[in-house]
Order: sequence, then C-alpha cells, then structure tokens
Amino acid sequence: MTKARVNWFRLNRSLHRDIGYFCIGMTLIFAISGIAVNHNDDWNPDYSVELSQLQLAPRDWLALSDRELSQILVEQVPDAAGVKATHWSHPGEFKVFLQDASNLTLDLTRHSLEVEKISKRPLLNEFNRLHLNETHKAWVIFSDLYAGMLIFLAISALFMVKGRHSPWRKRGLLVLAGIALPAGFILW
Amino acid sequence: MLPRMIKALPLAVLLTGLSVQAEPLNFGSPVDATKVTPISTLMATPDNYLQAPVTIEGTVVAVCQKRGCWMSIASDKRFQNLKIKVKDGDMVFPMSAKGSKAIATGMLQKHELDLEATRKMMAYQAKEQGESFDPATITEGMNYYQLVPVGVSILD
Repeated sequence: MTKARVNWFRLNRSLHRDIGYFCIGMTLIFAISGIAVNHNDDWNPDYSVELSQLQLAPRDWLALSDRELSQILVEQVPDAAGVKATHWSHPGEFKVFLQDASNLTLDLTRHSLEVEKISKRPLLNEFNRLHLNETHKAWVIFSDLYAGMLIFLAISALFMVKGRHSPWRKRGLLVLAGIALPAGFILW
Repeated sequence: MLPRMIKALPLAVLLTGLSVQAEPLNFGSPVDATKVTPISTLMATPDNYLQAPVTIEGTVVAVCQKRGCWMSIASDKRFQNLKIKVKDGDMVFPMSAKGSKAIATGMLQKHELDLEATRKMMAYQAKEQGESFDPATITEGMNYYQLVPVGVSILD
C-alpha cells in the first residue's frame, strides 16, 4: 500500500483561507480601534463630550446648602438624571455629578453653569476595550493566539502563489517594501 | 422565532449593561480597602508616607479626557484633591467614573518643582479658580505629590 503524499501547497492555501476567514472579525476590531486610539491627541476615542453654557440669574449661592444648590442646578437641565455626588473644587466652583455621567459646573462669580454631557461612543468603546486588553484575562490569551494566526497568515502568504506572480520573483519587492517602510521609521 | 429574538435583543443588551455597571470596575492588583488613610492625613505630612504603599478613597472629580491616564480624587478636606497617575495604557480610567467613589492602593510619589515650574502650576491653578496671580509672590519651589497606583477599584 502506498502512503498518500501530503500536498503542502494545497494544505497551505486551505489553512491560509480558513484562518483568514476566522481572523476577519478580529482584524476589523483591531484595525478600527487602532485608528481611533492612534488619534488620542485629537479626540477621545471612547466618549463623546458635549459642552453647553447656561447663564443663571445672579444670587447669593453661598447662602444655600449643598443639597439646595444641587437641586437648583439640576432643575436648570431638562431630563437631568439623579445626583451621584457633589464637589467644591474651590470656593468659586461647585460641581454636581449626575447618574447618567453628565456633570454640571457652577461658576459662582460669573453665575454661569456648564453642562457636560458624556456619552459612550457605541461599538468603538467596546472595540477599544478589547484592543487595550481592558476586559478579561482570557482575552490576553485569545489575542496572543490571534497574533500567532496573523504571523501564520503573513508567512503562509509567501507560499500561496507559484509562477510569475510569486513573491519569490519581481513581486518580492512589495514584501521588501513592507519591511523597509517600518525599518525606515526606526532609523529615521 | 427569529424576529422575536431580534426584538428581544435590545432588552437583553440593556439588562446585561445594567448588571455589568453595578459591579465595581477594578484595575491592576486588588485594593486593600481595610487600610484606608484619609487623604487629608496623607497630605498633612506626605513625606511620612513615601516609603510604603498606601490606600486612599474618595470621589472621582476629574478624569484625563484623552488617555484616561489620571484621575483626581476628592479629599475628605474641602478644596483638596489627590491625583492618581499611571503610565499611558497601564490602566484606562473611564470618563464615566466622575462622581463615583474610588479606592486606590499605591505609592505616593514626590516631585520637587523648581521655581519656574511652581510659578507655572500656581498660575494655572489661579486661572482655573478665576483669581489673579502675581508670579513675584512665589519665591521658592514647592513639592507636588501624586499617587502611582498598583490597584484601583471604582465603585458605583
């Protein structure tokens, strides 16, 4: 009986295809979150912050108790959630933190109220949490496996095509360019 | 069957979100909530607390907007805060933590500011508080303290 020979070329293509399919979701999550987190200096990738100012009628704010003060401030904002906590930053500034993550800041000298509405960016917030390993420890193991699969995809890609489009001929220049570009950033 | 499941999905997501939010949000090692030192005690003689880990608690009153790399914790004394600061990415504190109670265990760190840095910091604080500031009134550098946590728990 003759032993069936393994066709390494076909096996490599099949594995590359199936692991590639499996990695689509993870790659999209990491890539989208990667762009979002890359621009940390320009925006907050997890939360959108909306600021608005209200001018209040002047009054002696210091004559009020913290409870009365927060009550009056909450009444200025339509659909305001319940009060989570209050805080005096300094004698001229009083803050009210609301249950829905909004915050009210009263400037006692200018009699102005700043309303800060904080809301999670849907999906992006979850993607970033996964990308930055802020979830379960098991995610670290899973993302290590994903990284291993990406290494496989990169190496197996070198053996996917035979003939004139193979990376071992002219198109190898593309492979070299992909290595040279990051190397250039390190050296530059 | 499938359309019913699709209709029920938003409710399931909402319920999951509610149950997750009620749990404390933990970062790093567990905090030692039994050994809390009031921030006012710590800041009265901060140099006495530089050698061993300390645990503090208080309301989160500010969070780094860009990277979530620091939070200001309100002291038990009025108008006093202590900043907890981590290396970018070590822990990412959510902006929604404002107003929540937090417990943090870590090392108190001392930064000796020179005269110029002290004037800059005082000018910034005065601007924040809407007060006038004359740099000439500051004649020597000061020390600045912050906590570098190994564990943080944000309670709701």
